[in-house]
Formats: sequence, C-alpha cells, structure tokens
Amino acid sequence: MEVIEHPPIFRLPGIPDHVTYTWIVMIVLAGLAFVASRNVQLVPRGLQNFFEVVLEQFQQLIDDVIGPEGRPFLPFIATLGLFILLTNLMSLVPGMNGPTTSLNTTAACAVIVFFAYHWIGARKQGALTYLAHFAGPVPLALKPLMFVIEIISHLARPLSLTLRLFGNMFGGHVLIAIIFFLMGFDGLLGWALSGSPIGIVGGGLGTTVMIAFTVGFLYPLKILVSFLQAFIFVMLTMLYISGAIEEAEHHGSEHHGGEHQPAHH
Amino acid sequence: MRALILAATAVLTAPGLALAADAAPAGAINWVGPYSVLVAGFAMAFAAGLCALGQGRAVASAVDAMARQPGAAARIQTAMIIGLALIESLAIYVLVVAMILLFVQPIK
Repeated sequence: MEVIEHPPIFRLPGIPDHVTYTWIVMIVLAGLAFVASRNVQLVPRGLQNFFEVVLEQFQQLIDDVIGPEGRPFLPFIATLGLFILLTNLMSLVPGMNGPTTSLNTTAACAVIVFFAYHWIGARKQGALTYLAHFAGPVPLALKPLMFVIEIISHLARPLSLTLRLFGNMFGGHVLIAIIFFLMGFDGLLGWALSGSPIGIVGGGLGTTVMIAFTVGFLYPLKILVSFLQAFIFVMLTMLYISGAIEEAEHHGSEHHGGEHQPAHH
Repeated sequence: MRALILAATAVLTAPGLALAADAAPAGAINWVGPYSVLVAGFAMAFAAGLCALGQGRAVASAVDAMARQPGAAARIQTAMIIGLALIESLAIYVLVVAMILLFVQPIK
C-alpha cells in the first residue's frame, strides 16, 4: 500500500492514526453533546433542536424495527450510528485519515455489536433458553445440525459487518488515490505548470477534467456511501437485536438473514 | 477463438513473468505473483457483473411493488435500500480479497 500512503495533517508519536482520529471524533461528539444539553429547554432551539431531530429519527427507526421494547437501546444505537457516520465523513476530508478506513475500527464496532446483541438476548430470555432457540423449530434429530449451522451464521455476522464497512470506505479511498496518483494527475499538473503552450492546454484540460470528475461525482458518491453504510450498520444491529429478543413462536422467521419483518406490528 | 484467448493470456502475462524472473529468490516458485494480479482483476469484474444483475432484480421488484401500492412506498424503499446494500457487500468481499492479492501480495 505504499503507493497510496499519504500522511494526515497531524499524528501523535507512537499512537496509530486510527486511534488518534477516533479520539478526535470522540472529542467532537462529546463536545457537541455537552453544548447541546447545557440549558435544556422545553421548546428546543439551535443545537438542542438539531440533536432532538436526529435522536427522533433514531427513535423512529428503533420503533419500526424492534418495537417499543427496543427503547432502552437508543443510546447504544445512536452512539454507534453517529460515531460511524462521523468517522466515515472524516475520511473524506483531505487532511485527515478516517478511522473506518482501517480494519481495526470496523472490527471493533462489529465485535461490540456481536457481544451486545447476544448479551441482550441472553438477559431478556435467560441464557439457556436463548441458546436453546439456536436449534430452531426442527425435529429433535436435526437439532444438533441446526445448532451448528446457526453458530456459523452468527459468527459470519460480525465478519460481514466489518468487511462491508471497511471495504466500502477503503475502496473509496483507493479509488481517489488511483485517480490522483496512478492516473498521472501530478504529471498533468506538472505539464500544465511547465509553461509550454501545449502543456498549458493539454495539462490544464486534463487537470480540470480530473478535478471536476472527482469533486463533482466521486465526492458526492462517497458522501452517499458514508451515510448509507452508517445506516446499514445501524439497521443490521437493530435487526440482530430484534432477532435476539423476539419470542419463540416467531423463531421460524429468524433464519432469513437481513430481510426480517417483525410480526408484532 | 481458443487460440485468440491463449495468445491474449500469453501476451498479457509475459512482462509479468520477465519481472518475476528478475526478483527471483533462491529456489522459490514465483510465477504465482503475476497470475494473482490477473485473477484479482477478473474476480472483481465477475463479482461486479453478478452484483449488478442481483441489484437490478431487487430494484425491479421494488419498483413494481411501489407502483402496485403507492401507499407502502416508504417501507418498500427502506427494504430496497437494505437489500441493495446487502447484495453490494458481497461484491465488497471480493474487492477486499482482490486488494489483499494486489497490495498485501501473500505469494510474491
């Protein structure tokens, strides 16, 4: 990856980049939350209003997917969603190195989700009942096989969460790097600045086309992908939680992966 | 036709083989490196094509359903977006493997 490495605006000595920029995102989010909640008023204005709208949207999503018993999980889900959204958007800013472009951050989020939804399910239904539900509504002879298949599919979930988020963010990064470094943007710019008339026309045209393509098309695409991937991560977390806390009689629909429609509404 | 494909493969991989011959460590088989680049390219193209087919079917069904029941359009759109992202993640897995083959180069 040496060809696409470029150092960010500042790095702390001895601390990896993704940790440094995670701290920056933490400071930003905690600071915004502190400022928004300082003088809480009944009729919200300004930053408090903005955050109430955002949290209202998360609350709506939770009500749609998990139902009203999912409300205690709003802090967890909203924190996860806002953190992933901010770290995704941070990878777009030219001077900064986004934490989600590294496998470590996305794996951390996925592992947290994995332990969280199992713990939530085990706490709601009791650990042994929760594990017994892994076997599914099949005849007793097939239960061990079903248990193994279910374990494998549960282990595949954090893997897919990690790779989906990492692949989308890092793929966008590699795309921008290819446009700029490997398609000769620096060569075209040097040609344009060299002063010869052909250089100014050809190099200037090439440089302008590349910049217009990147800023006009790739950056909006990357912004869309950032929002979409944060939304998908949060939506899948909610689906896993709803799958963990649902009752035994709806267990048959749990095996359909992400296309789960809870039957109690 | 088969001769054409064989000739194209030979032409495309010959410079890679020459490059690999320069950097040969003692006793190691190093003709896998250039082929891993070829495989990465073909795998990504294949995955992108199949992912496009799958997503096309998903969007087509979603749009049909929205035309049939305009009242449920918001929920259908949410389900469509989730479905598209899940299908796309399969192509992203192939992208991750391709990047491992290209940049991490486990077999040189």
